Amino acid sequence: MPEPRDDRSLLWVSAAFAGGLGLHIDRVPLWVGAAALLLLLWRLAAARAPVPLPGRLLRALLTLGVALAVLARFHTLNGLAAGTSLLILVSALKLLETHRQRDRLVVVGAGLFLLLAACLDRQSLGRVPLYMGETWLCCAALAVAATPGLPGVSALRLAGRTLLFALPLALLLFVFFPRLAGSFWALPRGEEALSGLSDTMSPGNIAKLTTSYDIAFRAKFPGALPAPEERYWRGPVLHDFDGATWRRGSWNWRPLPAPLDFTGRAYRYQVILEPTRHRFWFALDTPAQSPDPGVTLTPDHELLAARPVEEPTRYEAVSYTRSSAAAPLSDGERRENLLLPRGNPRSVGFARELRARSGTDPAFVGAVLAFLRTGGFVYSLEPERLGVDQIDDFLFGTRTGFCGHYASAFVVLMRAAGVPARVVTGYLGGERNSIGGYLVVRQSDAHAWAEVWLEGKGWSRIDPTAVVEPERLRRGLPDLLPDSMSAPTRLLRASPWLRGLMERWDVASAWWDSRVVKFDYSIQLDVLERLGVHDADAGKLGWAFVLALLGWLTVIAWHIGRSARPRRPDPLARAYLRLCGKLARTGFARAPHQGPLAYSSALRAARPSLGEGAHALLARYAQLRYGATSAATHARDIEQLARAVRRLRVAHG
Amino acid sequence: MKMPFASFARARMAAWVRRRQGEDRLPAVLARRRLYILPTRAGLAFGALWLLMLLAGLNYGNSLALFLTFLLAGFALVAMHECHRNLLGVGLVAIKAPAVFARGTGAVLVTLENSGPAPRHALEAALEGDPLASADLPAHGRAQLSLPVAAAQRGVVRIGRLRLTSSHPFGLFRTWTWVHLPVELLVYPYPSGQRPRPLASGRRHSGAQVRGTTGADEWVGLRPFRDGDSPRQVDWKAYARQAPLLVKEYSPTGADLCLFDFAQVAIPDLEARLSQLARWVVEAEAVGDHYGLSMPGTLIAPNRGPEHRHRCLAALALYGTEAAREAHA
Repeated sequence: MPEPRDDRSLLWVSAAFAGGLGLHIDRVPLWVGAAALLLLLWRLAAARAPVPLPGRLLRALLTLGVALAVLARFHTLNGLAAGTSLLILVSALKLLETHRQRDRLVVVGAGLFLLLAACLDRQSLGRVPLYMGETWLCCAALAVAATPGLPGVSALRLAGRTLLFALPLALLLFVFFPRLAGSFWALPRGEEALSGLSDTMSPGNIAKLTTSYDIAFRAKFPGALPAPEERYWRGPVLHDFDGATWRRGSWNWRPLPAPLDFTGRAYRYQVILEPTRHRFWFALDTPAQSPDPGVTLTPDHELLAARPVEEPTRYEAVSYTRSSAAAPLSDGERRENLLLPRGNPRSVGFARELRARSGTDPAFVGAVLAFLRTGGFVYSLEPERLGVDQIDDFLFGTRTGFCGHYASAFVVLMRAAGVPARVVTGYLGGERNSIGGYLVVRQSDAHAWAEVWLEGKGWSRIDPTAVVEPERLRRGLPDLLPDSMSAPTRLLRASPWLRGLMERWDVASAWWDSRVVKFDYSIQLDVLERLGVHDADAGKLGWAFVLALLGWLTVIAWHIGRSARPRRPDPLARAYLRLCGKLARTGFARAPHQGPLAYSSALRAARPSLGEGAHALLARYAQLRYGATSAATHARDIEQLARAVRRLRVAHG
Repeated sequence: MKMPFASFARARMAAWVRRRQGEDRLPAVLARRRLYILPTRAGLAFGALWLLMLLAGLNYGNSLALFLTFLLAGFALVAMHECHRNLLGVGLVAIKAPAVFARGTGAVLVTLENSGPAPRHALEAALEGDPLASADLPAHGRAQLSLPVAAAQRGVVRIGRLRLTSSHPFGLFRTWTWVHLPVELLVYPYPSGQRPRPLASGRRHSGAQVRGTTGADEWVGLRPFRDGDSPRQVDWKAYARQAPLLVKEYSPTGADLCLFDFAQVAIPDLEARLSQLARWVVEAEAVGDHYGLSMPGTLIAPNRGPEHRHRCLAALALYGTEAAREAHA
């Protein structure tokens, strides 16, 4: 097949593909993006200059090569991340052999599929313009590929107009199309977690999180907000310590959560959790029940879902900020929360001595907190490196640390002195959005604290960080440690105007996440209710859809057909056509070549019995059409002629 | 077995369309009733891709993916309407097929008119099979499409129907209509042969006395120049005196009058004989001679000019063919 002469179509197809690549460029491995761009440039160079394109054998080898490379990187070809990488590389290779129109269409198709993969990957409001742009680009590329020589601007206008016409249908379908519950098959997502808390903690790794301004979740309280110092959001509870890292441990043998007596007011609120790819849901400390059948309330009062959070998730939770244990600590739990690894001899000795001096457990807790407050400890995001005995190094050496260090060291001291203790990770704080009235909790609010078992009270929250840096309770990290934020974020927070703008944007984003991204059957019914369809069921949904679809089709067909219809004849021509139609009844129709006067005389010869009125009208038409007329009376004259034509009676010949 | 069935189905389809639409008359306007539309291969592939996208969107209950899918569905539907509209209301003004010589390529010339306010792009015309010519129609404008037709042998190439089609704007659908107009492409014999052209043959068509070929022409007068007149007959002297371009007219009896007689050309092969006659006609016309043609059963009196030339060449083209027999019947 010969090379199409027109390399503009190639340019557009390449642009559609590059757009699809751009949507994934921050998600695929660097070498995938680089290789795809290189192949793209190769193809474009070959269209302009005598650069050779690879032959069939080389292409086959390259295809095999990229498949193997993806396999080596992801250990699978299935899954969104691996599949996307493979699709990108294979379509870039396909671009090398775009000789025929069909090959080009395949590449545009790949662009659309990359767009779909991007939708599956991320659905935030901010990406919607990107997705719309890519759709537009793909459709315009389709137009250029189909009609070579079509100018780019025309292609864009054509595609844009077509998509605009299609938009109402897309909205209708979106609202009315029946949604499935559950899925036919599950495609594994990328194994790489998104930023967020994980189920392990090394004292340093929370510090990494706190530089992220991303939203962890939003919480909307119908009533009063909890006080700032009560905004502890409970996440993974960690028991196992190996000297460097805290882990959850597998404590599934306890079938039920430890019973709690809740006191004080109950907070009922709604949480919209951003995707984390972890199984933890977050709730205000302490959640009273599981918000969803698919989520377990663990013995440690964590919310653990059956499946990782892949999409924005909305749930209603109930929490109490005050509680006490109704039952004593079991022996198993006591043992588990007293375990310590070898090492840190100085800390262990210090704890035992302090416990002996204090007399009671609460007094001992107070003594340790006093030690932290007065010992010259510094709250910092960039602690110095710690040696093998991390806790000893920290408590008696560097004395510089972050919440993870304080929680970790505190729990170790407690356990060394025989007080059951554990580390709890989660978030502390939340910024109120003044427009939406909800709390926004960001990754930078990530926090770690401790819980100790006190006889008579049960598990009690102790936050050693709050002792070292009391401001942390009331203010977010960015205010305390401005250096932790990137420059744009600092700028954003400094300007009240920008901050207001960001709050508005966040409200729109939250609405998007909860109403559009989470659009399901219940929202479908809700929308119908607002449209005035009460007691809607699936049947009514279907009828509403069919009616709306027919309406759309009618409007589109009418609108598009309008430009194809010839102009309606002017009133004079209409009157003349009508006159000729009437005269045709005599059996002597006007021939196409006859003008009104020629027709008149031919008619006079052929049908002598016809009255003079008809001839007068034909002559009048010729006069009005071709003769001198006065502009003032022209319209009225035409009207008179039309009326006379209507009144004319012609007998059938 | 597949091919005979396909051609059989195609023939049945053509017969059905012919019955359904009837014979066309010019000028014809392409109405809704006669426009057909189907997805192209690209359209089917797009449909398959779309189905895959819908399944993925439904499977994950992913709102954005579903919205994208629905937007593309609307896109395809609107594209279908636009494709249909591209042909709807196009006027068919004229179809003609100018005669050509054998071994050449003829053309069916189709003139289309757009009476609507929107331009129409990439209108294509085809006989059977792939589109052969394409043109854009501006708003309220006309365009002519030229469809090449191979003219291998002399005679008549009959074109029973032609197809007007378009896959604009996105190539996802192709709309088309059949136009049933009997178009005949006349193919003259290929002019060839080495025999010298008889300057004056034995027989004269008028009763004038026999003269030598060098005899003085009988002067009749001057008349204004018309297209097709031979430069040899132009009164150049008068032109040089600032007079308008005039042509000297001579009486036919006095001109280089000759009659090409089929019976007197002694070439056994019929086609070669017709080719020789065709060559003489072409040459005589080119130099501005008067010439006539005598065929078995037909006599074309000596004359000259493009119409005369066409009459003679047509008589040669149709000699012994069905069309000639019909004309005589």
